[in-house]
Amino acid sequence: MKKLISLVLAAMMVMSLAACGGDTPASTGKADAGTKAAETIKMGGIGPLTGDYANYGISVKQGAELAVKEINAAGGIAGQQIELSFQDSQGDAESAVNAYGKLLDWGMKLSLGCVFSGETATVVAAAKDDDILLLTPSGSSDNILQGNDKAFRVCFNDSYQGTMAANYIKEHAITDKVAVLYQSDYDYSVGLYESFKAGCETNGITIAEVQTFTEGTKTDFTTQINKLVAADVKLIFIPIYAEPASTFLTQAKGKFGDDVYFFGADGLDGIMEKVAQDVTIADNVLMLTPFAADSQEADVQAFVKAYQAAYNATPDQFAADGYDAVYILKAAAEKAGSTSGAAMAKAMTELEIDGVTGNMKWTADGNTQKNAMAIIYKNGTGSVFGE
Amino acid sequence: MDRVKRVFKNKNAVTLVLLALFYAVIAWMLWSGHITRQFTNMIIPMSMYIVLAVSLNLVVGFLGELNLGHAGFMSIGLFSGCLLSIALSGSLPLIARLPLSMLAGGICAGIFGFAVGMPALRLKGDYLAIVTLACGEIVKNVITNLSITGGARGLNTQPIYSGAKALLPYAVVLVFVTVIVMMHIKKSKQGRAIMAIRDNRIAAESIGLNVTYYKLAVFIIAAFFAGAAGALYGHFFANVKAVTFDYNMSIEILVIVVLGGMGSVRGSVIAAIVLTALPEIFRDFGDYRMLVYAVVLILAMLFTNSPELRSLRENITPAKRIREGFRKRHVARVLSGGQEKGGK
Amino acid sequence: MIEFIKTLISGLGLGSIYALIALGYTMVYGIAKMLNFAHGDVIMVGAYAGIVAFTSAGLPPVFTVFLSVAACTLLGVLIERFAYKPLRGASSLSVLITAIGMSYLLQNLALMIFGSQQQAYPQYVKLPSVTLGGITIDGITLLTLGVTALIMIGMSLFINRTRLGKAMRAVAEDRGAAELMGISVDKTIALTFAIGSALAAVASICYGLTYVYIKPTTGAMPGIKAFTAAVFGGIGSIPGAMLGGIALGVIEQMAKTYISPLWADAIVFAVLVLVLVIRPTGLMGKEVQEKV
Repeated sequence: MKKLISLVLAAMMVMSLAACGGDTPASTGKADAGTKAAETIKMGGIGPLTGDYANYGISVKQGAELAVKEINAAGGIAGQQIELSFQDSQGDAESAVNAYGKLLDWGMKLSLGCVFSGETATVVAAAKDDDILLLTPSGSSDNILQGNDKAFRVCFNDSYQGTMAANYIKEHAITDKVAVLYQSDYDYSVGLYESFKAGCETNGITIAEVQTFTEGTKTDFTTQINKLVAADVKLIFIPIYAEPASTFLTQAKGKFGDDVYFFGADGLDGIMEKVAQDVTIADNVLMLTPFAADSQEADVQAFVKAYQAAYNATPDQFAADGYDAVYILKAAAEKAGSTSGAAMAKAMTELEIDGVTGNMKWTADGNTQKNAMAIIYKNGTGSVFGE
Repeated sequence: MDRVKRVFKNKNAVTLVLLALFYAVIAWMLWSGHITRQFTNMIIPMSMYIVLAVSLNLVVGFLGELNLGHAGFMSIGLFSGCLLSIALSGSLPLIARLPLSMLAGGICAGIFGFAVGMPALRLKGDYLAIVTLACGEIVKNVITNLSITGGARGLNTQPIYSGAKALLPYAVVLVFVTVIVMMHIKKSKQGRAIMAIRDNRIAAESIGLNVTYYKLAVFIIAAFFAGAAGALYGHFFANVKAVTFDYNMSIEILVIVVLGGMGSVRGSVIAAIVLTALPEIFRDFGDYRMLVYAVVLILAMLFTNSPELRSLRENITPAKRIREGFRKRHVARVLSGGQEKGGK
Repeated sequence: MIEFIKTLISGLGLGSIYALIALGYTMVYGIAKMLNFAHGDVIMVGAYAGIVAFTSAGLPPVFTVFLSVAACTLLGVLIERFAYKPLRGASSLSVLITAIGMSYLLQNLALMIFGSQQQAYPQYVKLPSVTLGGITIDGITLLTLGVTALIMIGMSLFINRTRLGKAMRAVAEDRGAAELMGISVDKTIALTFAIGSALAAVASICYGLTYVYIKPTTGAMPGIKAFTAAVFGGIGSIPGAMLGGIALGVIEQMAKTYISPLWADAIVFAVLVLVLVIRPTGLMGKEVQEKV
């Protein structure tokens, strides 16, 4: 019986090799044909479409799809229609690298990088010798773009955001004593917390209490809430994603005073959808973000409307990043006059884009600095803080 | 001719030859350019899973103890090995640095394997399984909270990152060393002792086998190879986080071992290759990818292990008939043995 | 002192959920001798059934509860019939891997059907919280504790006092001998899965009412924690599962309050390893003497 299994498995192995190996001539053929004007231009994206983090990948994918549809309807990039393939990584670096390979084999010319920081770092390193520009919509961890001068991002980097949050508290004289709740095993959350801590020191803000949670303990916040209530502060900094935040806020409801702010950054975006069953849970959530679906700006409104029509959901930060990323790639390709990574990387540093996530310019290290606004939620509607 | 026949009768030799062929084909494809990027990127993780599965098989298949913390061993080897490699990256070339790093990673993991093996002396079955799971989770938690390993943001391994081409020779050596060591253990006196402990511990003890020694040795050896594989893995990914190596990863390795066949080195090798390739092959299913994977996994387990399906299986596959054919011919040859020899 | 009591109560709340899930785990293990890794995912299915019944179909709470229990029971029996029964007689590890495959399958099916966004479990049971001397206890926590205790007592009575329970114990003790005594092993195991999955449905209700948000991977973490709790208490032992679950919850919350939430995971598991090294069959597990 064991022999039989070995036989079957060996056969599958040979098949898998054949399947993996067989594509090469075809894809080079496609690449040659790509120079013809009538051909489509291939764009690839990678992110979690299944597994625990699937919603983030799906958001980016839908945002990108929407942008591709709009661009194609308007005539494409230099007359070429865009063809988008978004590959699943489950948020895992290993799978992401394979997906990147698959996209290259397919003939990808424009790349949306990856959704998460960890997978972005790995793909950025793997793509070092490829002549392709990587534009991650949402990989925000500080050092992930190092070592490849063709890697850029749409979102803020973490340390910029944490510092900005501390400065914001000081500038608007909200309070000088704060508490923090962050996820200790998540790169985004830790990155923001550390830069926020440094920002607080320079601004003379005291952090009275620091509480943490992990992936394994993200369902029950009772003890953390007890400690945060005891800290008696007017602002709790929560540099976490909307999903754990919704659990935390639901359990915290009624335990804090009415004047306590829950201050978060772009990861918190989408919180209203998460607590749709009772929007008052998100009361007093103060969010520093470059994108807000409630913004009155015309381009944002148009994007939100189109997104709602297409997917029956309100776009979050990730969707907006994905949407902007496609338009940025288009602009860079048009400016460079080709899809060569080196030429597009040069074009990126000269671009200025006014997207739904704000006005963006890039430095050669791939980072962008853009303005953020603070939105405060009350009874399910967001408004600009202080107005 | 007889020698060739003998080699082919030796299952281990066949496995090694097949494995050598597999890597020869890969190497040829890689250097001649007849390979896709997707597959190029899979080679190193695939080799790593071979090493992980074969070494876990020593614990699960040979010793008969369920280990749900193999990823923890790997994690320790990865971080210790890569930290050493990063420290040496300015002064030593890859050819000296990577073997050193794998050795250091293996030794650190081996020490940890010893620590996990200690409770294993008192515990059995699911109680041991949960202790190994717990140890893996403790490792994950501790490494995530350490600053030297980059904490939650992961260790930045950019300085030691190398591509598949550069790493392939080391991966091949590691795979072959692991496979040969395991084959050797299986055939040796020690291996028979380990399997005797698995089959009946009391009987093994009564004939004077030192159960403590063998159990600890198995845990240490398995951890050593997992750690070495981890160090290799760290060189292929530019950012490694401890949270990746949780119980889910340990379970993935266990799936490979069970599907490949308990105690079968060749089975582990083939299953590791197939199970790494499968989710990639299924990419064309798009959103249904993991669904298909789950169904295939269940069906594979039912098909290969179900007593009910055994008769069905034997009817639809030619294996049995072929086997019987061989036997008949063999008998005929023995009967006419004198003639054959005389003919030469 | 107040902090200590508060922590203890939150530990009881968390622990009672673990205990409730562990009860189903331990029961299936005790009788069918298999680790049903998909148990946590059955809970997830039960929670979605509750959402569909109450939020989408607008059924009253009683029917919602009934529908969740019915859906889980049916699912449990089906899984047993098609995935585990063909493997009876095969090695326990191959059954374990099949259970893991089943867990993946349920998660991915749920992802297909309900999407990856979390959904809120309807809060159709609203209980006032009780305040005693400055300490507030959530109504749902009390409900969960009560339900868990009731189920534990009920299960113990069922296993020890009824004919079916006796049959289950016989199957657990010696399958072959039970068969010879005229007990249908297949039926008994199917019944075990039915009861275990019904317990999962009850757990899904308590989980949904306590922690509100449900997504396709909701069952994974509580599943693994409950498995830990069941082994901690001595797998196969019904009072052990209750004790193990509560102990795990209390240790987790105490570690978070008095040491640091940074190390909570490591501390919980370290205590577990320590206890198992001292008592190799868990808190209430039976010591099985090996016979030569």
